[in-house]
Amino acid sequence: MKPEADQILMFSAIKLASEYAPQIPTQYGQGMAQVVAALMFMSAQEYDRAADIRASENADMRALFKLLAPQIADAGLRRDLETAASAREESLRVSALNASNEHLRKILIRLHAHLDETGADTRPVWDVLKAMAARRTLTLPG
Amino acid sequence: MSDDLSERLETYLANVMGIPDLEVASLSRIPGGASRETYRFRARYNRDGTEIERGLILRRDQTTSLIETDRATEFRAYRAFHSLGLPVPEPIALEEGSEILDRPFFVMEEIENCQVGSILSPDPYGPLREKIGRQFFANLGRIARADVDEVGLGDLEGERDPAKCWLHEVDRWEEVIDEDEREPQPIARAALRWLRRNPPPPAPKISVVHGDYRTGNFLYDADGDMRAILDWEMAHLGNPLEDLGWAIDPLWSHGDPSRPAGTIPREEALSIWQKESGIRLDTAALAWWEIFASLKGVAIWISAAREYADGRNMDPVNAFSGWYCLAFHNKVLADRLGTA
Repeated sequence: MKPEADQILMFSAIKLASEYAPQIPTQYGQGMAQVVAALMFMSAQEYDRAADIRASENADMRALFKLLAPQIADAGLRRDLETAASAREESLRVSALNASNEHLRKILIRLHAHLDETGADTRPVWDVLKAMAARRTLTLPG
Repeated sequence: MSDDLSERLETYLANVMGIPDLEVASLSRIPGGASRETYRFRARYNRDGTEIERGLILRRDQTTSLIETDRATEFRAYRAFHSLGLPVPEPIALEEGSEILDRPFFVMEEIENCQVGSILSPDPYGPLREKIGRQFFANLGRIARADVDEVGLGDLEGERDPAKCWLHEVDRWEEVIDEDEREPQPIARAALRWLRRNPPPPAPKISVVHGDYRTGNFLYDADGDMRAILDWEMAHLGNPLEDLGWAIDPLWSHGDPSRPAGTIPREEALSIWQKESGIRLDTAALAWWEIFASLKGVAIWISAAREYADGRNMDPVNAFSGWYCLAFHNKVLADRLGTA
């Protein structure tokens, strides 16, 4: 579809912030309209990247689990790592990717805590976490 | 704004201020924090034959609140630091019941002809930034210097054992994350483990911690004079480095972490704080409190996201906090701890 949803959100945010918000009679209304415009600006960024962020995170976590599973002595955790590492996405809908993402994050937390407790090298986990955080960062208007 | 709210406020204030002819006019809501609704209004009355018109602020509890805070604590903190001569609005009246305005509230002086910096702005203070920054860190130092018992706040919530106050705060914010997270938070969980594994040295003293001392929570005028420190709703007892770590957090630096709060260079800011607080800064301890500050931010933003996503409070500020601010602080923590 042209225009795409991200362009519609972006242009609407610009119109709201620069033309409509200043005409709202109260300071409270103007302030909130500016925040809504910022949210629309952020939503425009997210529209194009949402599925990619989640699919990339999920792939990174599965690759990490595959890499580290052989080193884990805890049989239950190792089994969960191996199972999660071999799974694949069943749908590219954001809601489905989120469900996988939440499941994988729970295992990632267990893995990281286990490595902390045993004094093992956590750098591969931090590399994944840093990449996750960087992908999710948003840019503000202006 | 509702005439009914205005009339009820008028009746209440006439009573508590002992001014039967007091009139409330021009009541209108203004932006002002996620835990309380904030309204501006004019109070008009006659005193000793003189017509007086005064700008006042009403802070009323929300139907739901981002972080449960005690309005009495906030009111008492305003009173204590106003009396101490810091730029803090004069508190007027506190009502803890719900009979008058449906929810608890308090009333304080309005500091007029001022503005507030926004984190959405890349340069909120322009040429005034250095003047504002020097006052910002000096006033924070004065809060740290204040004796908690002498200012009448020795019974605030918090931990008075200098060796344990860090743990009290970590426990507090972990509990918030436990209660409010809607999705697993691997960076926050890693940060919590790190904070517990690497405890800071004991607090240099126990101070009143403002709890949210930052850009957006103070007013300044056109001359760059800092006129009001606001939003004391998270005030508690603890390590004064908690406030310093929060004040210099990168989220409030407007894109330039070398100038905390978007004002003056970091070293100058810390030097001013040390001079005014009388506390010799332990940089290793401050580093711990900086990590803690970002973790505390994560906890607050998780709560905001929860309020919004559950539909309890659709204030767009909650959506912004739960999305932009959470993503920001997750990155700060991952970058800092991932290279430690």
